[in-house]
Amino acid sequence: MENRRLFLKKGGVAILGLGIAGIPDFVRAAVLDQKRISKNKILICIFQRGAMDGLMAVTPFNDIHLKNARPGIFMEAGNGKPLIDLDNTFGLHPGFRDFESVFRSKNLAVIHGMGSPNKTRSHFDAQDYMENGTPFHKGTRDGWLNRLLNQKKLSHNTFSGVSLTSSLPKSFYGDFPCLAVRDFNDFKLKGGAGKISLKQSAESFEELYDLTTDELQKQTSKESFEAIKMVEKLNFKNYSPSSGSKYPVSPLGTSLKQIAHLIKSDVGLEVAFAESNGWDTHFNQGTDSGIFARNANDLSKSVMALWNDLGTYQDDVVIMTMTEFGRTVKQNGTNGTDHGRASCSFVIGKNIAGGKVYHKMSDLSAENLEDGRDLPVTIDFRSVFNEVAEKHMKVSIPDILFPDWHGGNLSFIT
Amino acid sequence: MRYLLNPLIFVFIFFNYGCFAQKQVVKKFPYAASGLTERQAAEHLLSKFTFGVRDKDIDAAIKMGLENWFFTQLDGNIADPDLDKRLSSFPGLKMSNKELVNTYSLGAQLRKRAIDEGLVSKEDVTDENKEKLREIYRELKLKHGVSSAKELENQTIHQKIVRAVYSQNQIHEILTDFWFNHFNVFMGKNQTSRFVLSYERDAIRPHVVGYFKDMLISTAQSPAMLTYLDNFLSMAENEDGFAKRKMNKKSSGLNENYAREIMELHTLGVDGGYTQDDVRNAAKILTGWTIYPMGDEANNKLVKFLDRIGEDRLVSQGFVHHGDFLFVPNRHEKGQKIVLGVSYDQGGYDEGLQLLDNLAKHPSTARFICQKLATRFTNDRPDETLIKHLSEVFIHSGGNIREVLSKLVYHESFWNKNAIHQKIKSPFEYTISAMRILQVEIHNPAPISNWITKMGQKLYNYQAPTGFPDQGKYWINTGSLLNRMNFGLDLANGKIRGISYDPEKLLQNQEPESVEDAIFKIGKRLLPERNIQSTVERLTPLVSDPSFSEKVNKAAGTDQEKSDEGMDEVSHKNMAEITENSKITHVLGMLIGSPEFQRK
Repeated sequence: MENRRLFLKKGGVAILGLGIAGIPDFVRAAVLDQKRISKNKILICIFQRGAMDGLMAVTPFNDIHLKNARPGIFMEAGNGKPLIDLDNTFGLHPGFRDFESVFRSKNLAVIHGMGSPNKTRSHFDAQDYMENGTPFHKGTRDGWLNRLLNQKKLSHNTFSGVSLTSSLPKSFYGDFPCLAVRDFNDFKLKGGAGKISLKQSAESFEELYDLTTDELQKQTSKESFEAIKMVEKLNFKNYSPSSGSKYPVSPLGTSLKQIAHLIKSDVGLEVAFAESNGWDTHFNQGTDSGIFARNANDLSKSVMALWNDLGTYQDDVVIMTMTEFGRTVKQNGTNGTDHGRASCSFVIGKNIAGGKVYHKMSDLSAENLEDGRDLPVTIDFRSVFNEVAEKHMKVSIPDILFPDWHGGNLSFIT
Repeated sequence: MRYLLNPLIFVFIFFNYGCFAQKQVVKKFPYAASGLTERQAAEHLLSKFTFGVRDKDIDAAIKMGLENWFFTQLDGNIADPDLDKRLSSFPGLKMSNKELVNTYSLGAQLRKRAIDEGLVSKEDVTDENKEKLREIYRELKLKHGVSSAKELENQTIHQKIVRAVYSQNQIHEILTDFWFNHFNVFMGKNQTSRFVLSYERDAIRPHVVGYFKDMLISTAQSPAMLTYLDNFLSMAENEDGFAKRKMNKKSSGLNENYAREIMELHTLGVDGGYTQDDVRNAAKILTGWTIYPMGDEANNKLVKFLDRIGEDRLVSQGFVHHGDFLFVPNRHEKGQKIVLGVSYDQGGYDEGLQLLDNLAKHPSTARFICQKLATRFTNDRPDETLIKHLSEVFIHSGGNIREVLSKLVYHESFWNKNAIHQKIKSPFEYTISAMRILQVEIHNPAPISNWITKMGQKLYNYQAPTGFPDQGKYWINTGSLLNRMNFGLDLANGKIRGISYDPEKLLQNQEPESVEDAIFKIGKRLLPERNIQSTVERLTPLVSDPSFSEKVNKAAGTDQEKSDEGMDEVSHKNMAEITENSKITHVLGMLIGSPEFQRK
């Protein structure tokens, strides 16, 4: 790490995967074909804010109760029908069509009926609980991903934990310094003025902070200036994804593209976080087109662009989606759904025992529903998060990550 | 730490008590013992108790006497016509909760209204039609005089910014910020959003130097807190009468949310010695504390029910109604409850009052509150002796906040070097202090509000009931530092919309002799009473413009015989040349973005 930092400080660049003008494509391709030396594991979390309707994303299409409860938005699977039949029981929403290939190649698992043991149906509370990892304790000061990073005990570097959001998400709150950047293209010092160059400004600022007596400011500024320089060198604007990867032109597409660039630049990224918004579908949810379909399209196309862009880096990466809760089994009066309980999650990785929908669901008759209305939570989100931490990130500290949880794993990771 | 015997210095100060002036002997603040000059002491006092110190503020405080300044500020009665005029552009500030709810509709209500009036069909309410819908809502607004909750949220944020920059009663603004954060509510919660402005105005502001218990009760009974922590829904498991029917979609029953937070965050603190049983029993005591139905969106069942009884018979039936607060006796859990070893069985509303009283008096509460005050006004790890001392004052004075603050500024640890410039400004404090020093004129606070958000503090939008952490390490991280530096540059270079300032004002009556001197003088303005020598040395090379000093010499040397007035003219012209020089404003921006200016 130290060596590479020095190397960068002296104006060098990490050659690996950098889309930098001047490195011919064939050189890059050759570099990418080699096996990587560094082997740190990477987790990418995508939080679907607003509560995704898991029953629409991955529909138990044979369930007559569901069909009856949703006259306006239920879809059928099979020939000429919109849903993609995954296993004769569950059908994938056509908006997620791009996920079909990774599902068939067994690199994608669906975890269904996942949610929180806390019954709150408030977006804010439920997101908080999921990000803190403590569903019954609101006052938790740090997030589970921060605790995960803290436990890795690796020498911290600027890009260990990166969130592609304007402010730090709750998941990243805590002692381990993480970086929140909405868009790396804007992560730079504002230009100079008149004859004062940007470089002069930056250097003077750096000196001022280096002089200060306040340790916190001094230390953080070192990180900041290093990050600014690195980002400048990484040249996000001119990043070109591997051939064939087409990222949607959307906030999520941009975020994931930048995450791919960070991964392939070997800057020490371990946990990345991004958000997908607009899942709160109270009105006109739509079926194979409409709001839900648009969001699903954006999410699956962005994720698959990232996955394909990773090339040999796929070996070290797991991508996991999460959402605070699901939605009502019954559609509401405005062709949408209201706040419910369980939803589903998509997990992608080379080490995932995929091609399967993991679930403990019963049929959706009224007596099987939570509070008589919602898909019940049958898989605690903590068991899923903890398995990813243990088996993928090699951090086995459930007591610290999820105090007051004592469950087992689902074994969806080999 | 050397102890110097503080010579007892007495000064005579006239205090106004009611309508007659009375001579009071006031002891001087013990700053001399820490080796501070009066001017340094003034700067420190003001940097902790105002939103940004200017030379003129220091001058005024010294002229008044620091003690007099402080106690006058605590009174908070300084007439402020300029601020009043500015605040008149926020109509929400004058409205009752009922008016607020009827004037500012949530998205869902606007939608419903538009559909009911046939302005749009249900099917057309989609994201694609955003523009069209906006048009329709504008129409509705004209027709009914209603507006969106979003607009009220903006008013709430903007009035806070305007007050902090312009208010003459700075301590009251500082304390309103402190106590709001202590009794935090979240504007992002739909049911709460429209009550936040009035919450600050009615439940927090009147009590900031009063008795803690009064603030505890006023927040407990405010629509904002009742909705934010769900107590308005909380009812006995064994309730009878109308409450048995579902009052809303949520399943009815006991809700522990508020009861937990009132102990954990408002009074005792997380280590204050309460148990889960205490939480549950406190929740039972507070069942039936809810909101009096108001506005077009009121709960119809409750309205009909209250109508049936009639306002005049409510009291005899055990209801309590004042303002927007309502106690509903048949939602209240009967039977004995024990909290912290105290038994509550008098039944009804009084149980809750008794509980709040006992919590406010509890020694854990004294400690928790005083620790927070000490953290805010000294440093992130306040001195244990100070916390103990203040806790005693809190207990003996019956939770008199004014008394506690008065003792704080007479305690040596307020004046020692660990308390001076050791606090990192929050993004809000940082932006406001820069604007105060530049004497900014605000035309539209929105862009400034966006900057504050960008730096990590979306005002009134801290989701958790803890409020924003009052710790430097929460505010300073890799990304936020960059944003702070960029803010300084954008502000100084006039790139932030909605505000304007005149760089010349910074150097009023001070003729710089050179570029270096200009930077030094600007630095002194920005960072009074601090050692800025090395900062100036670092920034000077940026502006070493050889032609600059020629201009200065030319202007200054033209005619020594000029009248003062004439001299002024020349220096103004000359200053204009200097400040037009974009380099100078750029350096000013760097000073604002400098580490020193991030601390208070």
